[in-house]
Amino acid sequence: MKPTRITFAIVALSASLLAAACSGSTTANNSTSTGNGTGTSAREGGSTDKASHKQGGSLTIANTQGQTWTCQFNPFNPAVNPVSLGFVYEPLVYVNLLQDQKETPMLASSYQWSADKTSIVFTMRQNVKWNDGQPFTADDVAYTFDTMKRVPATDLYSLWTGAGLRSVTAAGDKVTMTFDQAAGPYFFNFANQVGIVPKHIFSTGPAAAHPDTWDDRAPVGTGPYKVDPCSANNIQYVANPDYWQPGKPYLAKIQYPAYLDNGPANLDLGSGKAQWGSQFIPNIKALYLNKSKDNHTWSPPVTNVAIVPNLDPSHAATSKLPVRQAITLALDRQKIALIGEGGQQPVANQTGVVVPTFQKYYDQAAVAAAGYDKPNPDKAKSLMSGLGYSESNPLKLTIITITGYTDWDASLAVVKQQLKPIGIDLTVSDLAQQTFDDRLYNGNFDLAYYGQAGGPTPYYELRQMLYSKNSAPIGKPASFNYERYLNKDVDALFDKYPTADDAGQVDIIKQVGAAMMRDVPIIPTTESVNWFQYNTEDIAGWPTEADPYAQPAAFNVPDVEQVLLHVYSKSAQN
Amino acid sequence: MTALLVDSSTATGAPVRRRGGGLWAAVRGSRKAMVGLAIFLVFAVMALVPQLFTSVRDPNALQFEPGLGSSAEHLLGTTALGQDIFAQLVYGTRQSLVIALVAGFFATVLSVLVGVSAAYLGGVSDETLTMLTNVFLVLPTFPLIIILATYAGKGTLLVILIVLVVTGWSYGANQLRAQALSLRNRDFVESAKVRGERPSYVIFKEVLPTMTSLIVANFLGAALYSVLTAAGLQFLGLGDPNSISWGTMLYWAQSQQALQTGLPQWSLAPGLCVALLGVSFALLNYAFDEISNPALRPARRPRKRRRLRARRTRAGGP
Amino acid sequence: MPYLLRRLGFFLLTLWAALTLNFFIPRFMPGSPLQALRDRTHNKLSPAALEQMLTSYGFKPNENVLVQYVDYLKNMVTGQWGISIGATLGEPVTRIVRQALPWTLGLVGVTTVLAFLLGSLIGTVAGWRRGGRLDSLLPPAFVVTSALPYFWVGLLLILVFSVWTGGVLPSDFNYDSGMQPAFTPAFVFSVASHALLPAATILITSIGGWILTMRNNMITTLAEDYVRMGRAKGLSDRRIMTAYAARNAMLPNLAGFAMSLGFVIAGAILVEYVFNYPGLGYLLYNAVQNTDYPLMQALFMLFTVAVLVAVLVCDIAIAILDPRSRERDRSGR
Repeated sequence: MKPTRITFAIVALSASLLAAACSGSTTANNSTSTGNGTGTSAREGGSTDKASHKQGGSLTIANTQGQTWTCQFNPFNPAVNPVSLGFVYEPLVYVNLLQDQKETPMLASSYQWSADKTSIVFTMRQNVKWNDGQPFTADDVAYTFDTMKRVPATDLYSLWTGAGLRSVTAAGDKVTMTFDQAAGPYFFNFANQVGIVPKHIFSTGPAAAHPDTWDDRAPVGTGPYKVDPCSANNIQYVANPDYWQPGKPYLAKIQYPAYLDNGPANLDLGSGKAQWGSQFIPNIKALYLNKSKDNHTWSPPVTNVAIVPNLDPSHAATSKLPVRQAITLALDRQKIALIGEGGQQPVANQTGVVVPTFQKYYDQAAVAAAGYDKPNPDKAKSLMSGLGYSESNPLKLTIITITGYTDWDASLAVVKQQLKPIGIDLTVSDLAQQTFDDRLYNGNFDLAYYGQAGGPTPYYELRQMLYSKNSAPIGKPASFNYERYLNKDVDALFDKYPTADDAGQVDIIKQVGAAMMRDVPIIPTTESVNWFQYNTEDIAGWPTEADPYAQPAAFNVPDVEQVLLHVYSKSAQN
Repeated sequence: MTALLVDSSTATGAPVRRRGGGLWAAVRGSRKAMVGLAIFLVFAVMALVPQLFTSVRDPNALQFEPGLGSSAEHLLGTTALGQDIFAQLVYGTRQSLVIALVAGFFATVLSVLVGVSAAYLGGVSDETLTMLTNVFLVLPTFPLIIILATYAGKGTLLVILIVLVVTGWSYGANQLRAQALSLRNRDFVESAKVRGERPSYVIFKEVLPTMTSLIVANFLGAALYSVLTAAGLQFLGLGDPNSISWGTMLYWAQSQQALQTGLPQWSLAPGLCVALLGVSFALLNYAFDEISNPALRPARRPRKRRRLRARRTRAGGP
Repeated sequence: MPYLLRRLGFFLLTLWAALTLNFFIPRFMPGSPLQALRDRTHNKLSPAALEQMLTSYGFKPNENVLVQYVDYLKNMVTGQWGISIGATLGEPVTRIVRQALPWTLGLVGVTTVLAFLLGSLIGTVAGWRRGGRLDSLLPPAFVVTSALPYFWVGLLLILVFSVWTGGVLPSDFNYDSGMQPAFTPAFVFSVASHALLPAATILITSIGGWILTMRNNMITTLAEDYVRMGRAKGLSDRRIMTAYAARNAMLPNLAGFAMSLGFVIAGAILVEYVFNYPGLGYLLYNAVQNTDYPLMQALFMLFTVAVLVAVLVCDIAIAILDPRSRERDRSGR
């Protein structure tokens, strides 16, 4: 009934990352890492470029939330972060997952890593004001991070615990962060995903006492929009006249209605009442695309949805490699994507590298050589018969999934049919979310259907899934490595990644991909996408496949800010 | 009380003692009951031999072109995933009937147990049982069901049956207790006691048979309640989405926005079946009301008598 | 007076039973507030941070169960219902409930009372005109409508009046999103047009039951002696119908009304779900899906209180209308 809450959750996860024990540095592979952050994408003008359009007009977002607005905007509250970060609050540096970690300096105009990447110095942008008129300073940044240390519940990315953040100090217009270890991979979290809050608001009253539960109903941020007003059914954002990019944002008003279900949201998108959609639309041609020539869709993939087998020896069947190989060879992923996801999700591949987003990490030749570039049910059948199973004498397996994720149920119905002829009798078991979580984390399953969060390179998702420290013995909760894959060589690869250079990192990922094909620890089926529908009748400046300057779904923060800084109203230009 | 009017004892609700034959004759005589029975029989046949109605053997298999409209091949078209809607409907009958009959039966058994025991044991036991019944009556059962079904972790048929029985017995228990109490003081019961019969004999051989029509009416009511509530639960997604039943069809249709994407029959047909099954129970129930309370029977046969009565009334005389 | 005291006692006892049930059920089932919070934070907080978050939200899981129970009872009764840990993480439960309550009261409450009154009226007339045209047509029709599932009628109405008309009547939500709540004609009109289809659904499905029971009660009552007596005395039809027959026929209906509130709540949840109407029923569904314990407990208690209050009110009404009930009860039935 509310199926895309799952896809929403999954992809929202993709914009963040859990920092497990990790070392090394990265982000050496993009051009503006030590620059002073001027322009970014070429076509519509970078988000920090000079304004090139006139201001005016408005836009309505259709993104199903499932309940009415609480009108809270505290960026430390994970439930309301999607409506506050990017609209009202901003991060230090924006990192674009879709353009190979291309950076756009926001509140920090530049930064400099130390040689061993255990410390980083940000230089704050000048002449930035909070929307109540107070000046933005480096103290605000330090205070934000110190709050996360003081009240661990606000440390949403475990920076002080997992990433090894040791101190954050402000001096003049510079902020210095020091870490226990090389912190390159965490840049995505602390620079891109933390919304900076004003010290003068958050150091007084209930905000200071309980920054994790404070309701922040009149948010004071540096971002392009202010909230005015918010009611249970709708949030109206108005342009911040003092925004530090003069002439921006172009749109004067943003309407963000509360949708309780996908149905009405999709109807509004189809009729043009809303212009920016971010959920799964079934039968999208009839319901949306055919309704107007100005309706478009482009949903870039960001992570995998996969069958997670249980590799622990206590599960006799799934711990056998031929069984897993048979499963992955038997799957016709095109059909799964077509029927399960309405054709709106691309197929995944056995290396676990999401293409085309991370194309450069993908070893096409190796995939073809291993025979994983197309389904091979005959080989699957022979693998199973080698173990004594056939269609008349099948191996019985149960796969657990979450109740309510109907697109996953549909995909699994297709999987079940595809596994039948090779000798596997699959039973799909729908569980309530918490029951599912319990069994998944504790390793109490044969197969599970699940999608993880991702990050700006395949390293994040793969490391989560395959690193042995993310695992745990059966009966104890694992953090991310639910299949219990334990491989020292792959661990070593992940350990090398942070200190490797660009080419080295690509090579490491390709080797991990090879291990994925060799050991089949996870069986990716389709690629989870950023659902995105957009209407061009009045609004231009959208991110497109040709110009993916940000993840386009409205629930991605802080990417939403980039979109808001690019879009403009055609009618207001006259 | 003159002979022209109905017997007051029946008018106040205590049923006339009937044996089986009388019951069937009464059912046959009531048009409503026949319609209800007919509908029920159609569904029963569908549940027992679905193969008679459709050539599809595995209705949940994704074997057809998705999103087709009605045609000779697919009487109700296909779902957005490529399943024959009519086939799903036919095969789904089984689960709905099972739920109705099993949950209805056990709920009625529980009602009879609690209601009649309360009436017979009297005293503290009666007070306790009555209090228990009232508590369950007043508890908002649907929210309770939702909570129980969700927390059971998986929406299997067994879970649904258990929650339905646990929440559905209290209505009947009250009614049955009231009637058992009134029967307690009736002559035939007194005479059985005087004869020295054991209480269990009195209950099973004298009282319960007299309450047959009320028990049957309760069963029908419980069956109706079970059908509607189970459908509601499955519609909300608390059932097993991979099972074959009308409720899960509704769930899938809703999540795929069948109404808006041009497949309204996917949503409406299973709902109609739930409605029809419910109607059949309701009609039978209503007919049983009339049987046990002849005052309610439609005065169909004696048309002349009715007009006579009306004329008399208007004239102001008795 | 003793009758009323007994009813009050029953009220309190049932409330206590419901609250206790409400307290223990989540504790016996899988899941916990810790897991709920872990889900909200996408499994990214360290265990220490999660524990701290738990305390921030007012949970004390390591306390003695009995202490928790007493605290819980105290909090429920004094209106300290805690903070939501569901999708509306961080919002005080009282605020959430306060926002949704008027919508459910307005839609479901008004429609149910309307259905009851209208149904009783029509049933009275139908029972009175026994054998007339009304009587032979209506009962079968209403038997059918009373057996229709709520959500199916809702879906049908949506299809006919919203989808096929291209959206003339809105099929979801309580008012147009663009509007601010205010007592302007535009806003009132918007609320009314959004409430039309859900209200029609509830009316159609529930009125049948009232008509039928009222009609049956009327017929039974009309056979009583005192009605004959009234006719013999030469009283007008209308007076007999209302003061003699209807007044007595109403009594079982009133008793049944309170008991049927359970079905009303079920209907409320389903109708609000189908029409995406942000009332208490919708909140409950969401709360259970998101394992939002504080909200669930508050809602469950509210529903129980609503039914109990209705029972109490109906009991008082019956006591006023029917002196026999007070007598009957005193003699121990």
